[in-house]
Amino acid sequence: MVKVYSFEACPWCVKVKKYLDSKGIEYEVRDIELNEEYAKECMQISGDTMVPVTTVDGKNFVLGFDKAKIDAMLGI
Amino acid sequence: MAKEQIHKDIIIIGAGMAGLTAAMYAGRMNLETLVLENGLVGGQIANATGIENYPGFISVKGSDLISTLQQQAENFGAVIDEFDTIQKVTLRENPKIVETEEKIYLADVVIIASGMNRRKLPLPEESKFAGRGVHYCELCDGHMYQDKIIAVMGGGNAALDAANFLTKYTDNLYLIHRSEFRADEVTQQKIRQNPKIKIMLQTEIKALHGDKKLESIDIFDKKSGETKNLAVDGIFVNIGVVPNTELFKGELQLSDGGRIIAGENCKTEIEGVFAAGDVREKEIRQLTTAAADGTTAALLAEKYLANLGNRS
Repeated sequence: MVKVYSFEACPWCVKVKKYLDSKGIEYEVRDIELNEEYAKECMQISGDTMVPVTTVDGKNFVLGFDKAKIDAMLGI
Repeated sequence: MAKEQIHKDIIIIGAGMAGLTAAMYAGRMNLETLVLENGLVGGQIANATGIENYPGFISVKGSDLISTLQQQAENFGAVIDEFDTIQKVTLRENPKIVETEEKIYLADVVIIASGMNRRKLPLPEESKFAGRGVHYCELCDGHMYQDKIIAVMGGGNAALDAANFLTKYTDNLYLIHRSEFRADEVTQQKIRQNPKIKIMLQTEIKALHGDKKLESIDIFDKKSGETKNLAVDGIFVNIGVVPNTELFKGELQLSDGGRIIAGENCKTEIEGVFAAGDVREKEIRQLTTAAADGTTAALLAEKYLANLGNRS
């Protein structure tokens, strides 16, 4: 399952989620504002202090909205 | 496989205030309207936490204002595509050509409302620390700095608003600006009354330090001539904007500042090509003037199309 580390008011997070919706890809939202554990996980995965982070396995990830990288990671 | 060719009456490049206003008007006039946005719908105000100078609203979040405007434009039939990136525009032919990753659009009118992007921190270490201490989106990345030391760089309204917003995460924020504030008086007062913000005017950031993440910055005090090191976990850079006109270089006349030359009627040197909003060279750039430009461009585009006599 694809996971999107994000939070509701973040505009780039919204864009990633809308993009996944447009491609019919199911994903789990991990809200870093509501869950501190998710915030820590997110930083561990990317090493960066940014969201959104989209990942399939917690190892391969895409930082921000990068359509080409998301497509490549998800094989779209 | 060859890209599909699609004809539209109007293509609007950019879905900020100017572009979406133009889309709303064009949609109301039953023009086949497509808005293409390479970045965020809403443009610069997508990140704005509280807009207090848009008529009719005491205070409104940028995302709320934009999502309502987007809905208005879509209700009138405009289509907004924020995922198909524009690769090339050819404006001196009729119809004009806008080529995206997936399609080739032919349009009788192009309204350019591509707006501005934030200026990057002009230091060689910027790329090393981008996303690892250097940030350009308070709303997106502020949360990662709970109880950390934050610096905001800049002296305009956007910078001061960012500083105020970020104090919801930290009690320890430096607001660093190389000269005096340019922000309006109301915004400056809010900053001066916020005990969590330490104001450092006439101060420049000279260097960034850290191993994997930003740990400290060197700041130069222009008054004393001294440079000192300051422990900082994150900098939010708000030092102005640059026009988003890369696509139009060679197609349209640009000002020294890189903006598109067009009059108050938004008409560029090419018939059927309009420039609206902050991307147009003009003296005042506000949300209200962006909306005004969007209105003007759409109404005059309709007149141009009527004279052309080949609406879809």
